[in-house]
Amino acid sequence: MAKKLKLSLPRIRKGKTAKKAVTGFDQAKWIRGFSIAAISIWVFYSFVIDLLPYEVASIFQKWMPATTVNEALVWVICALGLNIVVGYAGLLDLGFVAFWAIGGYVAGWLMSDFFQQVSIHVGSTAPAEQRGIHISFWGVLIIGGLVAAVFGVIIGAPTLRLKSDYLALVTLGFGEIIPQIFYNGENIGGFNLTNGSKGIAPVDNIGLFGKTLGPFDLDWKYLIFVSLTALMVFISLRIRSGRLGRAWLAIREDELAASMMGVPLMRSKLAAYAIGAVSGGVGGVAFATHVNGVFADRFSFSISIILLAMVVLGGMGNVWGVIVGALTIAWVNATGLPAIGDTVNSLLGTKINFPSYNFLLFGGILIFMMLYKREGMLPESRLKELMHETDDETSNTGKHV
Amino acid sequence: MSKPSTLNADNISVKFGGLVAVDDVSFDIPAGGVISLIGPNGAGKTTFFNVLTGLYKPTSGTVTFDGNDITAKPPHKIAQAGVARTFQNIRLFGLMTAEENVMVAMHSHLKSGVLSTILGTRKQRAEEAESKKIARELLEFVGIGGTADKFARNLSYGDQRRLEVARALALQPKVLLLDEPTAGMNPQESKVFVDFVYRVRDEKNLGILLIEHDMSVVMKVSERITVLDRGQKIAEGTPAEIKSDKRVIEAYLGKSAESGK
Amino acid sequence: MASARFSSRVVFERSAATFIILLVSIWLGVNLVKSPSQFFQSSVIGISNGVLYALIALGYTLVYGIIELINFAHGDLFMIGGLFAATFIAVWFGQESPSTVGYVVFFACLIAVMGFCATINVAIERFAYRRLRRAPKLAPLITAVGVSFILQFIGIRWNGSGPKSWNSVLPDGEFIISGVHIAYTTIFSFAVTIPILALMTYIVTKTRRGKAMRATAQDADAARLMGINVNKTIAFTFALGGALAGAAGLLFQQTRELTNYNLGYQLGLIAFTSAVLGGIGNLSGAVLGAILIGLVQGLNDGLPIGLGQQWSQTVVFSILILLMTFRPTGLLGKPMVEKV
Repeated sequence: MAKKLKLSLPRIRKGKTAKKAVTGFDQAKWIRGFSIAAISIWVFYSFVIDLLPYEVASIFQKWMPATTVNEALVWVICALGLNIVVGYAGLLDLGFVAFWAIGGYVAGWLMSDFFQQVSIHVGSTAPAEQRGIHISFWGVLIIGGLVAAVFGVIIGAPTLRLKSDYLALVTLGFGEIIPQIFYNGENIGGFNLTNGSKGIAPVDNIGLFGKTLGPFDLDWKYLIFVSLTALMVFISLRIRSGRLGRAWLAIREDELAASMMGVPLMRSKLAAYAIGAVSGGVGGVAFATHVNGVFADRFSFSISIILLAMVVLGGMGNVWGVIVGALTIAWVNATGLPAIGDTVNSLLGTKINFPSYNFLLFGGILIFMMLYKREGMLPESRLKELMHETDDETSNTGKHV
Repeated sequence: MSKPSTLNADNISVKFGGLVAVDDVSFDIPAGGVISLIGPNGAGKTTFFNVLTGLYKPTSGTVTFDGNDITAKPPHKIAQAGVARTFQNIRLFGLMTAEENVMVAMHSHLKSGVLSTILGTRKQRAEEAESKKIARELLEFVGIGGTADKFARNLSYGDQRRLEVARALALQPKVLLLDEPTAGMNPQESKVFVDFVYRVRDEKNLGILLIEHDMSVVMKVSERITVLDRGQKIAEGTPAEIKSDKRVIEAYLGKSAESGK
Repeated sequence: MASARFSSRVVFERSAATFIILLVSIWLGVNLVKSPSQFFQSSVIGISNGVLYALIALGYTLVYGIIELINFAHGDLFMIGGLFAATFIAVWFGQESPSTVGYVVFFACLIAVMGFCATINVAIERFAYRRLRRAPKLAPLITAVGVSFILQFIGIRWNGSGPKSWNSVLPDGEFIISGVHIAYTTIFSFAVTIPILALMTYIVTKTRRGKAMRATAQDADAARLMGINVNKTIAFTFALGGALAGAAGLLFQQTRELTNYNLGYQLGLIAFTSAVLGGIGNLSGAVLGAILIGLVQGLNDGLPIGLGQQWSQTVVFSILILLMTFRPTGLLGKPMVEKV
């Protein structure tokens, strides 16, 4: 897995150090930092933590358990997808959870005993006598991404002519409809498509170099998730530096002017939805292996909003900012709030239910960021320019009629 | 004497509900010619421009470009066909550098797909390098070569206007529509602009259509002038003819005026 | 001719709309024939829901009309109104069953909740949205989502993370007219809502403030030049919308005897769909759209040939999506032309 990271490094670095003058943003520095952090964390959790004395290790267990790290990475992968749609192309998608769900169910369908009617095995770790469809995890990743991409196009198509607020509503509508179909899918014309609210579990183990990785092989899973993240980062940065990325930025700023400069709006927007969706689908498949199943009641509107908060916090369009934002929020949600809550409560003898404050947290982040730091905490310098100049009444770029 | 026409507008009418913005206007932009479209405010000039570039569909009438009917085509297809424009209120992509602004307009001339972009194939990299080079050349051509890496919104007003032209030129157009290009310029800048228009016409061999309010520029730069008033074409001819046309003077100055400048 | 090409899209949209209307009519017809009493029963339920949606939908459409913002948090304001009503009537005044005192408290609460929600809405506009009036559209939209979450948080703190049931001061019985049950509470809802709507219409059409609102909605800059205080007008609009949401919250809490922190999100989207169906920015459209949506929902949930309640959200959102795709101007709205 580490090999994959090294391969991608030189390519990006060559292009990106030259870009420093343009974006004011040292991509190479971030790539190095990301790689070092990723490898260090892996080394830590695989080897170092076992060597630590119990008290120290349990602090880490409480404040940064390995499961949280892996789950956070799934959020990052999905947030990177949303970053393409909202951050690059400026399309406010409030229903991104749909792609996460789609990825999850593709994994559920293709990596489990669910479809007892058939027995298909393709490179899977499941024993041959098990019925159901069992395709290798790696194949399912690709299929999940593609299926999500198709749905990205389906969801995006009605929004192409709409203004940003209507667009948001349509995506929100789909973000409700698709999970509801999964939730009610126990009886679609007599056919059990999704097992309804029960969900589909368990899913097959991941096969890697002859090993089978189950839900408890956290360190290997970590490497896989980190690699998927790196892949999504790579894809995002590469596309951004090409003509489609420029088209997206132009559309984000002024789609009318963009179209008059020859940018095909429909095609470009659909591409944003599709490519963003791929990331969501991949994240969904990964998550299914993380929780060992796909469960319909997990896919709520709040997930779409949390992803949005991650992208907003990190800076829309800024891949590294989104990663940091996503890791932060995912950690706070999964571990931070409960752990802080326990600590404070035991220190002060209070009984405050910290996790229930998450709505306040997400809402607060969105409002605060929009009012005071629209460019994100780690601004892409170009965004810093945009988000504040429009408060000037005489400006006309960026005001959408 | 008349050159072959590139862009023809025939009997264009634009009605918004009860309001008639453009009323049965026809004219032609010859290849390599400079035409100005003038008229009092609200005469329908920008609306007409918008029809030519595909932003509005006319209620009736046709627009033909190089013999092809482009009336109902979407704006980006018209742009790709070779009709480029600038905007009355500058509509640059403020967050992108000058170079990137120009490169956006080259979108339809680039061929690399998503996959080759992701993989960074040699062909794609070569294409990117080439388009960067062309973008910088265009920036030089319009006189703002040093600003390539500056964000568009940080440029001075005059430079922004030039950038808009550079961007429009990146479409490799056959016809260039300039919407009030000298708005906000002082006489000196306007003079520079007039020379610039000649240069563009001669070096790029384009037809140019200007909407202008500055009469000195109009008189100097145009080969022909068309006058709109309240959506209708009231006069058409050489600068000399227009200057002394009574209807034009009336439209601008009101019925009691003497012959104007 | 250009106009022929121009109208092909219109033709497609018209035929799609006709086809959908035809399908819906057939569905309705079949159900009506199959079991008329169920049909009318579901219709009654649907219309009584619709009336509630109308109050909420008006808030959306008023705000959208004046500042072109979808106030995501509006539905949650309705939810907060319900919490306030429950607290006011049952907790502060201890009224939990029909009685003269109960009715008096109800009406006192009506005034109070409208004032309460109006105030909150004005505060939200002042502190969260005003600064972003000229920002790119993404910013106030995202902020509105944030406000929605904050209001839901308040709901969780106030009401817990699950539903709470209450005893209403409204009488329990019902009329039965040829097999159709019409609850007293339904009549009551109408009796409260219709005067409120009438009052609203009066305010918007006849008062100076109302005229200022409509002027600002058409062209804020021109209104400013006419001497209209745009900030005050916008604040007034939010106050009106908030008051309506509050009234709806009280009605819901008393007729359904239920409060829950996520009601705003659920019903808010339905109400917004109603506003879009009627033509966003159009007040009578909002009411019309709300009644229609209420009907569709009631019929879908209650009819033998219907998808059932579990698909209720899907049906409404599908309507929203179809509307946005084919007819974003809704039934009574006017198409907008973008000026360059």
